Amino acid sequence: MAANFWTSSHYKQLLEQEEVDVVHPMDKEKGINLEDFKLIKLHMANYVWKLAQHVKVRQRVVATAVSYMRRVYTRKSLTEYDPRLVAPTCLYLASKAEESTVQARLLVFYIKKLYSDDKYRYEIKDILEMEMKILEALNYYLVVFHPYRALIQFLQDAGMNDMSMTQLSWGLVNDTYRMDLILMHPPHLIALACLYIATVYREKDATAWFEELRVDMNVVKNISMEILDFYENHRLITDERINVAFNKLAFKP
Amino acid sequence: MPETDLSKKVADRYLKGEVLGEGTYGVVYKAIDSKTGQTVAIKKIRLGKQKEGVNFTALREIKLLKELKDPNIIELIDAFPHKGNLHLVFEFMETDLEAVIRDRNIFLSPADIKTYLQMTLKGLAYCHKKWVLHRDMKPNNLLIGSNGLLKLADFGLARIFGSPDRRFTHQVFARWYRAPELLFGTKQYGAGVDVWAAACIFAELLLRRPFLQGSSDIDQLGKIFAAFGTPTPSQWPDMIYLPDYVEYQFVPAPPLRSLFPMASDDALDLLSKMFTYDPNSRISVQQALDHRYFSSAPLPTIPDKLPRPAPKREPLTSRNVDVNPHDGPTVLSPPRKSRRVMSEREGVEGNAFQVDKNPRVGEFRPAVSEIMGGNEQVPMSMDFSIFAAKPPSRPTINSVDRSHLKRKLDLEFQHPE
Repeated sequence: MAANFWTSSHYKQLLEQEEVDVVHPMDKEKGINLEDFKLIKLHMANYVWKLAQHVKVRQRVVATAVSYMRRVYTRKSLTEYDPRLVAPTCLYLASKAEESTVQARLLVFYIKKLYSDDKYRYEIKDILEMEMKILEALNYYLVVFHPYRALIQFLQDAGMNDMSMTQLSWGLVNDTYRMDLILMHPPHLIALACLYIATVYREKDATAWFEELRVDMNVVKNISMEILDFYENHRLITDERINVAFNKLAFKP
Repeated sequence: MPETDLSKKVADRYLKGEVLGEGTYGVVYKAIDSKTGQTVAIKKIRLGKQKEGVNFTALREIKLLKELKDPNIIELIDAFPHKGNLHLVFEFMETDLEAVIRDRNIFLSPADIKTYLQMTLKGLAYCHKKWVLHRDMKPNNLLIGSNGLLKLADFGLARIFGSPDRRFTHQVFARWYRAPELLFGTKQYGAGVDVWAAACIFAELLLRRPFLQGSSDIDQLGKIFAAFGTPTPSQWPDMIYLPDYVEYQFVPAPPLRSLFPMASDDALDLLSKMFTYDPNSRISVQQALDHRYFSSAPLPTIPDKLPRPAPKREPLTSRNVDVNPHDGPTVLSPPRKSRRVMSEREGVEGNAFQVDKNPRVGEFRPAVSEIMGGNEQVPMSMDFSIFAAKPPSRPTINSVDRSHLKRKLDLEFQHPE
């Protein structure tokens, strides 16, 4: 495993759910509740993935970008840090930090192509200005660990590295970036939770393998439940609800 | 504007002093932290050309130094934006190892050399433990503080490694410190490249001049082979498969003793292990630290007692010429420019934009083959990015499956004990 997670800044910065689920007072004033907050982050995570597909970066870069964005909003308000600028800037910063730089002008080009809405329109200089502010908001901590590497190792170790299991669990890991899990749990536990769901879903008996692991299965279970709750709720998310959340953000008291 | 106020406040905290030098990507100032009274060095990072925001090399240094905290690694104390530029605050270091080696007024005893090497290796061992390659080890990147402690600095070329088939650029290190595998163009290398460079520094401490001063990459290899003999395939089996491998005329190795007449047997033994051709058999930094050289007499000098160049007097008139007081009159390293060719290269290399038609698959493949070794069970055509498949993308599991799943999850965990 590259680098050591347990001595990393990522590990030291892990937060509790209660610390993550805090709506900034400035956003609260606009009537944004916790659910709106989560929806906006989810929507912007999707936006980052979409944009990343066009500028063609490695998956790791996308995961890092979404993690940056989620970290920013544990400290800053949506009001002062417009998510429609923060999201592409995080992608820009992550591409540099992960050694696969994307040019800012390319990002701007695709933003314009993807969204005709003026609210998404930002220029290169906006991104560069925001880059500095995001660095500050992140307290210059740029290393993020992800569940993918652990997942591949687990799949192999459990002898389940066939295509169907790999694809399913990999997809589950991707989906976890639509939640705040990466801010709260060590990546290898997120990987285990995804693998666990995948084994149950594909009706593979991996109980023995899980039991042999030296991990707290209760934590894994809790993460699994969170992921399942997310899928449960995801059904109810409509564009309309996302629009409502963004409209609140646009409200000027 | 609360942010600018804040950053101004931070900037006001430091009282700017004289220019210390021109770093890789900006000017370095001496400054006093008015809050603590501590002397610091502030690197002002020039904004990149062509509107590319915070300098890529600077960002790499920030990223790694935020993770690396060790007595033998330079400390990044703070960072702040001011007037559109990013400023990095480092602990202030009095001098560097190059200045010590070049200073003819300094006598380095075998015990002093031992300490300098030990501190260098300790810093490196910490990096390697954290899976960071320094990739730019040379005496003027080894800074020395007022207490004699040596610290690794300039992580602008450093990288996290550990993915066995990640390809890296071989354009790293100043040429004189470049390992033979790099000179033969390898793109898959490991901690051994730092060990080779540390060996060059060790030799330089013994000789008081750079050991292998090649004038080109070809010449560099020539100098290496002249010192240690042309490597034979039995010494280094993988050599002939390296991208830029060319056959050199065979020269036998002179006795190592003849190159380092003053060195002890232990020193020579360690040196030869660090200068091993095959990177797979080269000694690791940790093994080097455990070598008997460090435990046999004379024991390493206490850092505080190490000889250091006499403190520089403030220049009386010229403030702009010869801005780097550390370098002394002669700069012996190859010019900086030629060593810094890699950052754009690498940007391109990592950017799937040029080759990959399907970035997600391209991303996944190295990760798989790296762990699964030869038996690749995942075809290239596979698309793992379910997330990005459909706007706003259908989740991996349908809601219908969930209640079933949930029930199952509950069941399985009912009796954990």
